[in-house]
Amino acid sequence: MSVKNWTLLIINSLVLLVVLTISFSFYSEFSKVLDKRILLHLRSIKTLKKIQLQRLVNKEWNAFTYATNIAKQGGIKLPENEFLVNGIYDLTHLHPSKKTSIGLVKIKDSVRYLNIVSYKKIQQILLERTGMGASGESYLVGNDYRLRSQSRFFPKTKPYEIIVKTEGVINGLKNIRGEGFFPDYRGIEVYSVYNSLNIGNLNWVILSEIDVKEVQIPLKEMRDKLLILTLITLLVSITISLFLTKIITNPLKKIHNLIGFMAKGNYNEKIQLKNSPKEITEMNVALANLSEVISSAVNFSVEIGNMNLDSEYQPKGKNDLLGKSLLKMRNKLKAYRTLESEINKSNKRLLIQNLESERKRLARELHDGLGPLLTTLKINVQNKIESGENKDTIKNIIDTTIAEIRQMTNVLMPTSLDKFGIGATLNNYVQSIQDSISFPISFENLTQHENSNITKEQEIHLFRITQELINNTIKHAKASQIKISLTEFADFLSLFYFDDGIGFDSEKVTTGSGLTNIKDRVEICNGILIINSSKGKTTFEIEMPIKNNKND
Amino acid sequence: MIKIVVTDDHKLFRIGLAELLKKQKDFNVIATFSDGEKFLDFYTKSQDFDIVLLDINMPNIDGIEVLNKLRKIKSSVKPIIISMYDDGNYIAKCSKNGAYSYLLKNTDEEELIKAIRIVAKGKKYFSSLIAEKMVNFMATQSVSENLLSNKETEVLLLISKGLTTKEIATQLFVSTRTIETHRANILKKLEVKNTAQLIKKASEIKLI
Repeated sequence: MSVKNWTLLIINSLVLLVVLTISFSFYSEFSKVLDKRILLHLRSIKTLKKIQLQRLVNKEWNAFTYATNIAKQGGIKLPENEFLVNGIYDLTHLHPSKKTSIGLVKIKDSVRYLNIVSYKKIQQILLERTGMGASGESYLVGNDYRLRSQSRFFPKTKPYEIIVKTEGVINGLKNIRGEGFFPDYRGIEVYSVYNSLNIGNLNWVILSEIDVKEVQIPLKEMRDKLLILTLITLLVSITISLFLTKIITNPLKKIHNLIGFMAKGNYNEKIQLKNSPKEITEMNVALANLSEVISSAVNFSVEIGNMNLDSEYQPKGKNDLLGKSLLKMRNKLKAYRTLESEINKSNKRLLIQNLESERKRLARELHDGLGPLLTTLKINVQNKIESGENKDTIKNIIDTTIAEIRQMTNVLMPTSLDKFGIGATLNNYVQSIQDSISFPISFENLTQHENSNITKEQEIHLFRITQELINNTIKHAKASQIKISLTEFADFLSLFYFDDGIGFDSEKVTTGSGLTNIKDRVEICNGILIINSSKGKTTFEIEMPIKNNKND
Repeated sequence: MIKIVVTDDHKLFRIGLAELLKKQKDFNVIATFSDGEKFLDFYTKSQDFDIVLLDINMPNIDGIEVLNKLRKIKSSVKPIIISMYDDGNYIAKCSKNGAYSYLLKNTDEEELIKAIRIVAKGKKYFSSLIAEKMVNFMATQSVSENLLSNKETEVLLLISKGLTTKEIATQLFVSTRTIETHRANILKKLEVKNTAQLIKKASEIKLI
């Protein structure tokens, strides 16, 4: 069953239960109170009438007792052998037309006097109907279960002809005072209050009654109202709960769809939830966060896929296994790549080392092998050849050859690099270059001289780099000056090269220009190379780290 | 008579040089050695000679070390370097270590003889070419005895003129990071924290 149906069922059942309980208890309480009030009312009316009747009869009796002559016989003829004692009697059955008659009998001087209490007066008392509503009445019943007062409902019928043998009358004749609901002489349910009425020899019952139907009109009205109210409440509650379920289920449906998208790998979908409950909005936010987490992991893995290993990723928590694995993968790849580049670097280094040692060997061969031979040759020429034009020519050729060898040595591997370090070597080198070019070239040596911490390897690379740069400038730049400085600090060195030539596009220069060579050498030394080139100003900034202990 | 000892590891050159010198009537080549060690052994036994011609590159003990030893014991023997190297640093180093002259191995006979004669009189001889190389080299080797290096003083001056790091770098033909490092080193050396303090302190101690 869906949330909607559950909600509808539960909420509306609850509402119905509550409303019904309240209505019912209200109704029954009201009904009880009503009963009580009605009975109380009837009781007071009955009591009043009883007292009024008693008074009337007593008054008549007194008047009759002290009067001398008055006698109203009312057409009743007393039997000779009955009613021989002073008293009040019910003489209705003696009346020729069975009109209710309360007879007062007085014996004075052996004469029997009879007076009938005015039926009119009795009726007046009983028919006085203030506060009795439309169906209320008070009436008298004799011990023969016949009415003694006029029925409201049958004004044409003589009371004596109506037999009233109701619960009230039976109890009243037994001298029981009481009240209750039961059918009256018409067979209609009434609220009834009854009491015996014993005046003299009268053994009657007085009853005040009102139709249950009339009394219960407000009760019915209330019941109807309560029913309508219940219906309205139910309607409202259904509407509200429908609205409520809509508030909950609509965003849930949206979220469901969103999760569907995410399951298919689409993390870019977003949903807008307006006026949704806080929890749902929070859920959406949590979902958005989840989506963000996943998509950041996805993006990260895309980066890794592209071998972009410097991209960072922050694991979203202890249990972010995906993120952690990705990070692990990245680190491994990074390690592989580092290893690869290390191997590359060391390959390059080896290659260059071999090259350099070959050059060094060659330079030494030239300088230390050929050099002495040539100088010896010259000595021998000077010693053994007689002076003359030939001797000078030979000497010149030998000198030129020696100069050539010196230059070749300088280019291959200056001998001073080993003994005097890079500063002095570049100084010599730049001076030898100056001899062969027409524009000024200067070198500023700011190394630590004897205390330098620049390694032999770095020195060779620095020399080659400078050599390459000078070559490039001379070959391509059409420069009118070159300025070079080498500065050594405690933890790094800086080679700065400047020329005012035509410049070049460092992106486009071909590998043949030696730039690759320079880059390789800088890389081998873990250095950095910054090239700025524009017309009239080309600078190379090269930095290499220096370890403070040269033996490292 | 000028008594000469020749020390060179190349036998042919050594012999050739000795023969060349022997042609001079007043020159007497009393001994030749193939390395510095052998020469020094000889020297401890006999100091009866005026001049020693020393190669730089030799096995065991090289020419410069020999120069050093002779200088230390204040020997009266006047050493002349005769080398293949024509670099200023070699020349300067030898000169500093007491060489009376610096000759290249392919020096002409006339100059060689001229140099020996001058040195024999107790004077130093450096040809104009050699002297120029030496001077050029030494010019770049100046080491400041002051608190700040020459470069640092230069940087300080430019800072005091209100130039930015970049302007200073451009003017001195070095990288900006070099200037930054110089600047940091200057601040450290003068024990100040910022440029304002630096200028104050620098003018106080009359650096600028």
